[in-house]
Amino acid sequence: MSDRRAELERKKARLQALREEKDRRRREKELKDVEEATNRVLLGTEGDRKEVDELLTSLGVAPVSEVLTSISSASSLTPEHSHNHTPDTSLLPNSSPNSLTAIKKRTPTLSVVAVQSTNIPPKEMVLYTKQTQTTTSGHERDAHATDYYVLTYDDGQGEDEEGSLPHLGGFGSKLPPGILPHGLPQVKEVQPAVTALEQEQAKQEVKEVRELSEEEKQMIILSEDFQHFVDRAGRVMERVLCENVDCYTDYSGGLGEEGLDEKSHQRISLNRGFYDERWSRNRCVTSMDWCPQFPELLLASYNNNEDSPNDPDGVVLIWNTKFKKSTPEYIFHCQSAVLSAKFARFHPNLILGGTYSGQIVLWDNRVQKRTPIQRTPLSASAHTHPVYCLSVVGTQNAHNLISISTDGRLCSWSLDMLSQPQETLDLHRMQSKPVAVTCLDFPHSDVNNFVVGSEEGAAYSACRHGAKAGITDTYDGHQGPVMGISVNAVQGGIDFSHMFVTSSMDWTIKLWSLKDSKPIYSFEDNGDYVLDVKWSPAHPALFAAVDCSGKLDLWNLNQDTEVPAASITVEGNPALSKVSWTPSGLHVTVGDNQGKIWVYDVAENFAHPRHDEWNKFLHTTQELRNNQVDEELEKLNYSVSNTPLSSMSSISSTPLR
Amino acid sequence: MSNEVEETMKRIQSHKGVVGTIVVNSEGIPIKTTLDNTTTVQYAGLISSLADKARSVVRDLDPSNDLTFLRIRSKKHEIMVAPDKEFILIVVQSPTD
Repeated sequence: MSDRRAELERKKARLQALREEKDRRRREKELKDVEEATNRVLLGTEGDRKEVDELLTSLGVAPVSEVLTSISSASSLTPEHSHNHTPDTSLLPNSSPNSLTAIKKRTPTLSVVAVQSTNIPPKEMVLYTKQTQTTTSGHERDAHATDYYVLTYDDGQGEDEEGSLPHLGGFGSKLPPGILPHGLPQVKEVQPAVTALEQEQAKQEVKEVRELSEEEKQMIILSEDFQHFVDRAGRVMERVLCENVDCYTDYSGGLGEEGLDEKSHQRISLNRGFYDERWSRNRCVTSMDWCPQFPELLLASYNNNEDSPNDPDGVVLIWNTKFKKSTPEYIFHCQSAVLSAKFARFHPNLILGGTYSGQIVLWDNRVQKRTPIQRTPLSASAHTHPVYCLSVVGTQNAHNLISISTDGRLCSWSLDMLSQPQETLDLHRMQSKPVAVTCLDFPHSDVNNFVVGSEEGAAYSACRHGAKAGITDTYDGHQGPVMGISVNAVQGGIDFSHMFVTSSMDWTIKLWSLKDSKPIYSFEDNGDYVLDVKWSPAHPALFAAVDCSGKLDLWNLNQDTEVPAASITVEGNPALSKVSWTPSGLHVTVGDNQGKIWVYDVAENFAHPRHDEWNKFLHTTQELRNNQVDEELEKLNYSVSNTPLSSMSSISSTPLR
Repeated sequence: MSNEVEETMKRIQSHKGVVGTIVVNSEGIPIKTTLDNTTTVQYAGLISSLADKARSVVRDLDPSNDLTFLRIRSKKHEIMVAPDKEFILIVVQSPTD
């Protein structure tokens, strides 16, 4: 603090000193100026005097200097020369009191200064006033005129305009009368311009109140806002319309729900169907997938419709199982038939499709566009054959899209870059023969190992990375192309992820273990191509299979291995191409070749496993294996020489339990 | 793109029991309708002002809230109103049974 105060004091002192210095300088300067002025005046008068003298002498008059000296001498010597010079008498009354004073020498200089000072001011005054007046007034007027014009034509600054107007008026009133007529027309021009704008606005307002013309309506209808609104509001409205439950139902006197008891006895019952006349008619369902974020959303891809060649070949529809509305939530399509479609597991808005042409396409439901927003190129580095298999594997931060085409090429893609695959792998059998892959499945949360089914009838296990990337094991057993493959995915006490089932065109379903190259068991209940098979996501021993005769079978291996635990034939016996479980395991959806998807409810006590199901299933598989061994031995003992097919039929004929 | 608008309108109109569908702008002027002119104008004017009122009620009760849907059940009809910032979709439905 003291330091600061000292500093302040010091500063004050310095300031004081500076101020004094300044004052001193100013005073000096003033003195100097005065001196200079007087000098100049004296010098100037001397010069002037000479000129005047010359002029006077030329006219024959006595020069001023002489007169002046005579005057001064007269004034100084008044008492002595008063009698000689008559003109001096006029000066006498003034000079007589002065002459009495002792100091007389300075008086002449004083009188001279007085004369000169009267001479100078008029000169200065004339010059100064004339210049300032004319130039300043002219400049000011011009500047304001241009400012004013700029403001007039600036539409965006209405407030500024209004603000500038009174100022202008005020300025105009200050202007001298000669300038006013020039300023006035400007003022008149502005005001109409402003009022015209306002009038236009007013007119528009009036228009809006009236009924809109056809063109205006069309304009609104074509606007993006409107389309967006109709899209959203239409969706909501449809849902609301379909949820038309009568909330005024009175049960006290009405009929009870009799069907309820009957239904509860059924293990499987039809819930609803999804079908769209325009988009799914005559199109075979090629794949189904469930949205991980919104479990009610079902994604279905459809093949081409041969009856309507003008429509896009590939269609993907998203259905909503939560609302009763019968129309799809979203419709997407693309040029090539879509053979497989998946939700991009970690991006709820993106839908991926594998096409017949080999392209992977990507749709986005945030975009008001039904065609893909991205597609992979058709190049030798990616797929050039139909892509029947798609899968998204990995975690939120590190996931890949895996696609396999029928020439055995596996590509893994990053969803951020579909321009080229991150890595490719060609799946070969022993003698570098490509595997025609028809179906693919990854064990739960495995990113490296997977199983595929092939057209030649064999199933293979393979891995993406490692020293022997590619096919690792062959599971030969089917006589026809493998159409469906599914790995047991139930999490629970015992891990069954080495168990998988395959369905084939040879009318059979086979149960395998990855550790065994021979099937554990063959299910031979079907009488047609079995096109798809899927393990239940909830029950370890339950799987669903569909065949070409329209039959949906649910097999519970803990209950029976001879016949399906529940079976239902879809109305009209369409060929069923795909089957899928809802993530809860309480519904099964099947897709047919007519473009219809059927949703079946599975009874809860049937769909959900009891706690001992895992142990039971382990027991069942062990029993199946033992039976198989017995069968082999029996076959050897009796040395039955028959066709290889007979071995399978003999298995099925053996009672298991 | 406008055919998608048409498609949506047609889908809604084809629902069982739907009598009419009207799209109105924020001033209450009908833009698209499936009803006759006088009915449309009447519905548009009345429903849009009702929707405005309903919205202000919802907002007055809780300023962070907003009206999303309005459903009016009457003896003869059910009027469903989907309001938005700029447009309002009105669907008039008769009881199905």
